[in-house]
Amino acid sequence: MNTSQEFSKAEKFWMNFKLYQLWRFIVLNVKILIAVYQSKRS
Amino acid sequence: MAKVVVIGAGFAGHTAALYLGSKIGRKHEVTVISNRDVFGYVPSWVWVGVGHMKPEKTVFKLKPVYDKMNVKFVHAAAKEIHPDAGDQYVLGNEVGTDKEVRLDYDYLVVAPGPLLNFAGTPGLGPENGFTHSICSLPHAIKTRDAYLALCDRMGKGEKVKIVIGTGHPGATCQGAAFEYIVNVHKDLVKKGLRDKADILWLSNEPAMGDFGVNGVQIKRNGHVIKSKEFLTSVFNDHGIRYQVQTGVTKIEEGKIHWQNYEGEEGTTDFDFSMLIPQFKGQPFKYIDKNGEDITSKLTNPAGFLLVDGKYGLPYPELAQTPEAWPAQYQNPTYKNMFAAGIAFAPPGPISKPFTNKNNLAIAPAPPRTGMVSGVIGRVVALNIVDLIEKGEMTHREPMTDMVAACIASMGDSLWDGNAVVIVMHPVVPDRKKFPNEFGRDLFTSHLEMGVSGAWMKFMLHHTFIWKFKARPGWTIIPE
Repeated sequence: MNTSQEFSKAEKFWMNFKLYQLWRFIVLNVKILIAVYQSKRS
Repeated sequence: MAKVVVIGAGFAGHTAALYLGSKIGRKHEVTVISNRDVFGYVPSWVWVGVGHMKPEKTVFKLKPVYDKMNVKFVHAAAKEIHPDAGDQYVLGNEVGTDKEVRLDYDYLVVAPGPLLNFAGTPGLGPENGFTHSICSLPHAIKTRDAYLALCDRMGKGEKVKIVIGTGHPGATCQGAAFEYIVNVHKDLVKKGLRDKADILWLSNEPAMGDFGVNGVQIKRNGHVIKSKEFLTSVFNDHGIRYQVQTGVTKIEEGKIHWQNYEGEEGTTDFDFSMLIPQFKGQPFKYIDKNGEDITSKLTNPAGFLLVDGKYGLPYPELAQTPEAWPAQYQNPTYKNMFAAGIAFAPPGPISKPFTNKNNLAIAPAPPRTGMVSGVIGRVVALNIVDLIEKGEMTHREPMTDMVAACIASMGDSLWDGNAVVIVMHPVVPDRKKFPNEFGRDLFTSHLEMGVSGAWMKFMLHHTFIWKFKARPGWTIIPE
């Protein structure tokens, strides 16, 4: 994010680049599972 | 044989019922009483509201699921709770016949969801007012119809003003309104009508991206990114104007009256508006053995049931006292009575409250919907199982430990859709456990926009409907 509080062209590119987004999808799911585990799911 | 009654079949009540049914349904009696005979998957009502999803795809009948899970279902609206030992029961009126029903209990879960307090803001709401809502399925359908009619007007060249946000100075659930505004934007872009609409975000949040949880902060590539800057970028990018620190006080036809932090009073014109109302507790009466109404002793002024939290702490102290947040959602007076989901009284706000010079409190209430509701439903159910089988509770999960995810989609396409994904851990900052400025785990907290969010939203819709239908493997899907 740039300082003018608008997304840059590069950021918009990555938001729509499907291969990168697949990686982010995996990261997001792993993060949620870690957080659920940490939040004492019992 | 113990009798467990669950009032409500939303995220909290239904989750509690599924766990109770699966753990003790064969040996004990588990009964759900709800004024609706269907489960509604609330997060997808945003898509109903822009005409992108058929309403029937967001609901399913409860009884077949409960039959499978050894849970009895009573289609009735609860009206009274009689909690005194020796003769504990819930009274309700059967939907359709209005016949009075009585359900005796040994353990009670109060999880009826919120009362949508449209009356708290004159002129608010789709029934007796001038604005729309996506907080119930009939409302979302009505909103869709009004929105599509508006699109027809825009198609004929008319320029319109759209206002979306919160309709009360103390409203919560800003996430739903945020998701709706970005869906409207995306839909208008797809229809080629975006240039015909002036879209405004009007909210009671202290800052952009606050969401009633003091904002979300993450660490990425060594930098802290805050939801305030992130959401501002989203709105700037989409050409959506925004006005926060604003409490809506009254609605007239085409005109919203508000006050802001500075105490200024103003109005905003609109052609179409979707504003989230204040949430209150359902208006049950709690009656003691002498027939006296003891509701005010068991609930906070908003009608939410008091549980095992520390109430009455001033905000600065509450913000530094994570242990003030309830962990087992058990009423301190009647130990066999629990509140789940939005029904429990929070000990105070998460975001910094503000009262302007006119004495108007502009302060978002803590959100307790969705994932939070489901987690509390599970914790309460497992503790009741514990009490029945072992005599003591072993499960705890305060909101200062809890993780919550909010996926604000922008369109439903898996190819060119988009979504803002917000994961906060914990929901309520715990500055003792996470000794940083924000009181959160900056690694697991997540804030990102991209196509992957649209995939996530699609996946959540289907996995949660799977879970709530108690299909194989439902327990391994987190709430």
